[in-house]
Amino acid sequence: MLAWTILISFLGAAALVLLPAESRRAARHTALLTALAGLACALAGAVQYERSAASGTPVDLVNFSWIADLHIHFHLAADGVSITLVLLTGIAAVAGVLFSWNIERRTREFFALYLALIGSVYGVFLSFDLFLLFVFYELAIIPKYFLIAVWGSTRREYGAMKLALYSLVGSAMVLVGLIAAYVVSGAQTFDLTELAKYHFPAAFQHWAFPLVFVGFAILAGLWPFHTWAPTGHVAAPTAGSMLLAGVVMKLGAYGALRVAMTLFPEGLRAWQNEIALLAVIGIVYGATVALVQRDLKFVIGYSSVSHMGFVLLGLMTLSKIGLSGAVLQMFSHGIIAGLLFAVVGRMVYDRAHTRDLTELQPMNLSALAPFAAVTFVIAGAASMGLPGFSGFIAELQVLAGAWQVFPRLTLLAGVGILVGIAFMVRVWIKAFFAEGDIKASAIPIEPISMPERAGALVLLGTTVLIGLWPGLLLNLITPTLNSTLFQGMVKGGPQ
Amino acid sequence: MNLSLLTLELGVIGLALALLLIDLWTPPALTGRLGLAAAIGLLLILALSWNMSGGPPVVGCGGMFARDGLALFFKRLFLAVGVLVVLMGVEYRERLALGFGEFNVILLIALAGMMFAASANDFVLLFVAMELMSVSFYVLVSFQRSRLPSLEAGVKYLILSALAAAFLVFGIALIFGVGNTTNFAALNAEGVRLAQDKLYWLGLLMVLLGLAFKIAAFPLQMWAPDVYQGAPTPVTALLAIGSKAAGFVLLLRVLFVAAPVLAAHWSKLLMLASAVTILYGNLCAIPQRNLKRLLGYSSIANAGYLLLGVAAVNASGAAAVLYYLAGYLFTLAAAFLVICVVMRDNEDIGALAGLSRRSPLLAGALALAMVSLAGVPPLAGFLGKFLLFRALIERGAAESPESFRSYWLAGVAVIGVVISLYYYFAVIRVMYWAKDPPDLSPIIVPARVQIPLAVCLVAMIYLGVMPGAVLAGATEAVKALKF
Repeated sequence: MLAWTILISFLGAAALVLLPAESRRAARHTALLTALAGLACALAGAVQYERSAASGTPVDLVNFSWIADLHIHFHLAADGVSITLVLLTGIAAVAGVLFSWNIERRTREFFALYLALIGSVYGVFLSFDLFLLFVFYELAIIPKYFLIAVWGSTRREYGAMKLALYSLVGSAMVLVGLIAAYVVSGAQTFDLTELAKYHFPAAFQHWAFPLVFVGFAILAGLWPFHTWAPTGHVAAPTAGSMLLAGVVMKLGAYGALRVAMTLFPEGLRAWQNEIALLAVIGIVYGATVALVQRDLKFVIGYSSVSHMGFVLLGLMTLSKIGLSGAVLQMFSHGIIAGLLFAVVGRMVYDRAHTRDLTELQPMNLSALAPFAAVTFVIAGAASMGLPGFSGFIAELQVLAGAWQVFPRLTLLAGVGILVGIAFMVRVWIKAFFAEGDIKASAIPIEPISMPERAGALVLLGTTVLIGLWPGLLLNLITPTLNSTLFQGMVKGGPQ
Repeated sequence: MNLSLLTLELGVIGLALALLLIDLWTPPALTGRLGLAAAIGLLLILALSWNMSGGPPVVGCGGMFARDGLALFFKRLFLAVGVLVVLMGVEYRERLALGFGEFNVILLIALAGMMFAASANDFVLLFVAMELMSVSFYVLVSFQRSRLPSLEAGVKYLILSALAAAFLVFGIALIFGVGNTTNFAALNAEGVRLAQDKLYWLGLLMVLLGLAFKIAAFPLQMWAPDVYQGAPTPVTALLAIGSKAAGFVLLLRVLFVAAPVLAAHWSKLLMLASAVTILYGNLCAIPQRNLKRLLGYSSIANAGYLLLGVAAVNASGAAAVLYYLAGYLFTLAAAFLVICVVMRDNEDIGALAGLSRRSPLLAGALALAMVSLAGVPPLAGFLGKFLLFRALIERGAAESPESFRSYWLAGVAVIGVVISLYYYFAVIRVMYWAKDPPDLSPIIVPARVQIPLAVCLVAMIYLGVMPGAVLAGATEAVKALKF
């Protein structure tokens, strides 16, 4: 069931290419249907998985020999961690289409690239053959680049090329590490479960782990390799930033967990503290820089760096509670950042034609677009990590896990949370609830459309649902962390 | 003297002579047909080559000429290039002021030179085959007598090629002086004794320099961009694909048939040459605006990637070279076919603006070619690079698996790949998303371009997605070499 998500997305992209260029309506509907079908498959697959395999072991979806001479298999499989991210991709895909409803220029090509990106992302999350995973990972670079370079806004060509080059540098590092693992293990296989059984020499792990981990983590916004993220997010069209923050950054974190941490547990131990330090610097730095930005999209862009820092910190705790918090934070941040970018990029920027906080201040957006204001306030509250939203439980788990390993760093991360609250409140006041001289409210702006409302409700509903009932996802994630794949890295600890 | 060994070469030369004669009685209006006839002739010879098997290796003509899997693999490659380039020539014919008939004949003779090179088992045949190619290229590069850039390119090629040939002859003389033979097998048999003599090393080094010119690798890479830019497009294509492949088959034979004893010692030297070539080609390609010149620098970079496979000094490296060349053939042929049709007098990248609307087929083909050159999956270029890296890392792991230092060249190579993305993507962006393209008139693509283009596209995707068959062929072919 889950494997269909990939095929459906690519078929949708192919169908869009074949549509006549003028048919914008048909293109939108095709894209929405494809995204919905993908989400339906993801949901059905998740339910099926949870009912069948309580143990949390990976379940094979597809497995056949692809390049026999190199022992490369087309091997798709899923466990709780990958299913969580597949679900995120499905939800983000649907919301992204809804928030791109107003794309008038080259609609067909936009959605074709969009669906190709979604398909590749599904592919990464479901690949258990590392060669295949790498192919999907690289495949995502092309649509990412063109979505930004063509449909983007501020300094789009610069942002797009920066993102593409950073991604490629990361994937090049990963490729070298993967081939080295393939050769050194002597097993001549790229199968994740097979390679994970092999004990790599410690000296090898000592350089292979940072190579592969950082290669992936570049895309997860690891400080100081995060600089693509704010420029890329700002340059991207709304749906592009939603996917970048919502899904693409998760590709990096997922790869770091699934590949680097699984294959090289000793290298992981050796570098654990350094990477945790970088993660915390990312948390504090991202939040602090967000505090002084004038461009609303930059605020959200830097906040993504900060929130992804929690994911990386959670991964470095190597305890079940921290790891499950990290995975949950991936999901949660994907939803919340998507929502914030949707409000800023689509609801505000497309109507007010500015994202500058000082220019937005006199417009009194809360009166002009109350729906946007309410959505942003709720999304902001979720982003702060208030109880009742998905971010709360995720960050709490990460901090609880981190407290046992790095107490001092955890305190610093706590400061990051406080700064996070501060920048969000600043944005609320400046962008939506400024008082004083309000002349601009005479400007008529178009009302928030149906697709936007639908998209916002999907995302809001998800974060509240998971916030109130985290067990929905934790029941998928926690058993998986007990499986053999994670035994090498998890040290145990409470829970 | 066993002439049946030479069937394919004789076929190509016979075709060339026949065309030369027929041309005498063909009215100028019909010369286009001659090109098509040449393409069909080459296709028939290609079909014939499928009838031969690599079989047990045969050495004939006084030990000079080897017919083995390696030779056959490259001959098929050359024949395929021949077909594509001749068809390109038909498309290009109005731009050649005079003598389209002779153009085809000389092209076929250059092709015959490459095919002889594929079988060279003796330094004498190696030199003769190289000169057969070079002399033909002197004429071909400067074929547009009234166009200054073409003449300039011809002169440059002539002078630098003569320099390379001088290195080659001097090297061969030294080798003969020390070893008393020019035969590869005989030299190999004496390998351990000869390796003691520094003059033998020097001779071999000079031969390698001569070959570096052909493959456009450091330190003799300078000519490539100028000549690529000035030469008529079909000739550029033949230089970029055929001549480079011929250089590589000779390099493989010299290193791994004639002197496997030394090859292992020179791994580091080859790695250094490869690293410099990759960085030079990719860095210099960044500011280029002329597409043919850009492809000239990109061809230098690709020579560097291919050298990785040679420097790995193992069977998987050599097989990766063969595989990469096969993918490179179709990728570049597609690019040059598009250039041939679209860029009539303006070769600036800007002239591609709006191509996606003028002709979706041409734009799609060039875009796919660029993506493949950039090494993005799932196209031929990605798998080729993957195989090269794998061979290189195997080499590093064989030395000391745990130390990161044995993998430094892979690091340089991936930096090159990252840089290349920048300029390849720029080409795609102009075609699809340039602002206000000046010319939007549709381009009519004739069937004689459509068909080869379609073949190239299918091959690019096939090689990337289903590499099994060709990879098995390449692995089989390199069994002729010793490591």
